[in-house]
Amino acid sequence: MREKRTGWFSCLIAVLVMIFLLAPLVVIVIASFTPTAVVTFPPKGFSLAWYANIFHSSTHFMEGLGNSLKIGLLATALDVLLGVTAALSICRYDFKGKNALLNYFTSPMYVPSVAFAFVLLQIYSQIGGVPGMLRLFIGHFVIILPYIVRNTVSVLHVFNWTLEDAATSLGANPVQVFFKIPIPLAKPGVLAGALLAFLYSFDEVALSSLLSTPRFITLPIRIMNYMELTFDPTLAAISTLLILGSLILIVLMEKFIGLDMFVK
Amino acid sequence: MERKRRAFLLALPTVLALLVFFLIPMVYILIKTLLVNGFADFTKFFTDPFYLNILWTTVRVSLISTLISLLLGYPAAYFIARTRSKLKNVMMIVILFPFLVSAVVRSYGWMVILGTNGILNQFLQGIGLLSQPLKILNTEAAVVIGMIHLLIPYMILSLVGVLQSIDPNVEYAAYSLGASPAKTFTKVVFPLSMPGIISGCVLVFTMSMTSYVTPKLLGGSKFRMMATMVVQEINVNFNWGAASAISYILLLTILAVQVAVVLSTSGYMKRMGGGKNA
Repeated sequence: MREKRTGWFSCLIAVLVMIFLLAPLVVIVIASFTPTAVVTFPPKGFSLAWYANIFHSSTHFMEGLGNSLKIGLLATALDVLLGVTAALSICRYDFKGKNALLNYFTSPMYVPSVAFAFVLLQIYSQIGGVPGMLRLFIGHFVIILPYIVRNTVSVLHVFNWTLEDAATSLGANPVQVFFKIPIPLAKPGVLAGALLAFLYSFDEVALSSLLSTPRFITLPIRIMNYMELTFDPTLAAISTLLILGSLILIVLMEKFIGLDMFVK
Repeated sequence: MERKRRAFLLALPTVLALLVFFLIPMVYILIKTLLVNGFADFTKFFTDPFYLNILWTTVRVSLISTLISLLLGYPAAYFIARTRSKLKNVMMIVILFPFLVSAVVRSYGWMVILGTNGILNQFLQGIGLLSQPLKILNTEAAVVIGMIHLLIPYMILSLVGVLQSIDPNVEYAAYSLGASPAKTFTKVVFPLSMPGIISGCVLVFTMSMTSYVTPKLLGGSKFRMMATMVVQEINVNFNWGAASAISYILLLTILAVQVAVVLSTSGYMKRMGGGKNA
């Protein structure tokens, strides 16, 4: 048996790809501490002024963050309910057209979000008076649903349902069975799906930029609007905070559900 | 029968929600567009070189991004799938972490690096390699770089899954029978990893075709891809007919690509014994 399983070539490329992936993120973090308005390398000094600027009301970043969190959390919560029941119906029972139904549940994935956004825009303009938050909420809950369905199905389809019969024969009632068997087993898939769905909603731009009203604007759109007017390191500061948020999420995920959920 | 009813009841809320908020609007607007304008906007798209050029740019950027993602992602995925290093989890985090960071933030990082006053130009001028700054930002090259950065994690994740499921003993068997490393790769590993290559490429290609943020931020105002053009037709030109035509053409293009891939590979997948994603 050979000890060496990988060659130097694949190792080199792997290292280069990782440097390539991390480079812009590292640059942003360093840039956020520069005192000058133009980012120079190496930075001339150290400053937290740009971080203070994030909270300045003229940037609207905090308001945007609130809106993004609201939409993301609400849409994810609704989709966990819709997605888990949908996944259970497909995995728990045998019937004709299961695959067609799964494709139907995941179909929003195959539609470019800009195309769907434009369709919604036309519907809203016909109905009229749809408030800003609802306009975005409908779009977001539809486009993120497939992530929860797919991740839940991927854990449930290997699940041995006779466990439920065993629990019933040992005297558990149907409600107990439901909460003691499929729910804990589906949890990693549901969590991974919910996390991807939330992040997709939180980062979504195409849909939000077409559907948002001046009174309800999400954070990514605020950042892009700011970018068009001023290109100063305030952008690096808010980006650093978002990067930090993602880093915390991935470390928590590695700890609690493992990263294998993402390897398909 | 009882079971069928329960499955039906469980599926019902989601079926209805997607019907009301997704399927009916999509079909209704398509029919409405065709009834009001007929195929005029569609014909205009396919006869006007301006629009055809945007379609070609979109396809070209997507093909290049997919190809480079595959060429770089394959060895990287192979290393991650096969390494016994304790750092494997760290590597997985490095791959997954940018993937969880907003596309706006990642494009911004590339703007800081690639801009005329950007870090790359400062560096190249600093060491005396360049006298004039290189113009990379607001070109197609910047879009391709940003796109690969955005999408290579998807490629690597698709490939790691498939490569991990290939038993390393299959490779040892080939070696012990006298195959060279190159031959082992082309005759054993590569064919077995085909399902991952196909699903990774389809994923990266379609996401690149429909991407909006990267071309908008890194391509500049004169660079147009299909998704950015839809938004421009709506917000700048107020030409909803054209926007409709472009978005349905984009939708049909990516559906056609996926159907074509499924049809052309189903025979291959069967010969290879199914495969995870078949």
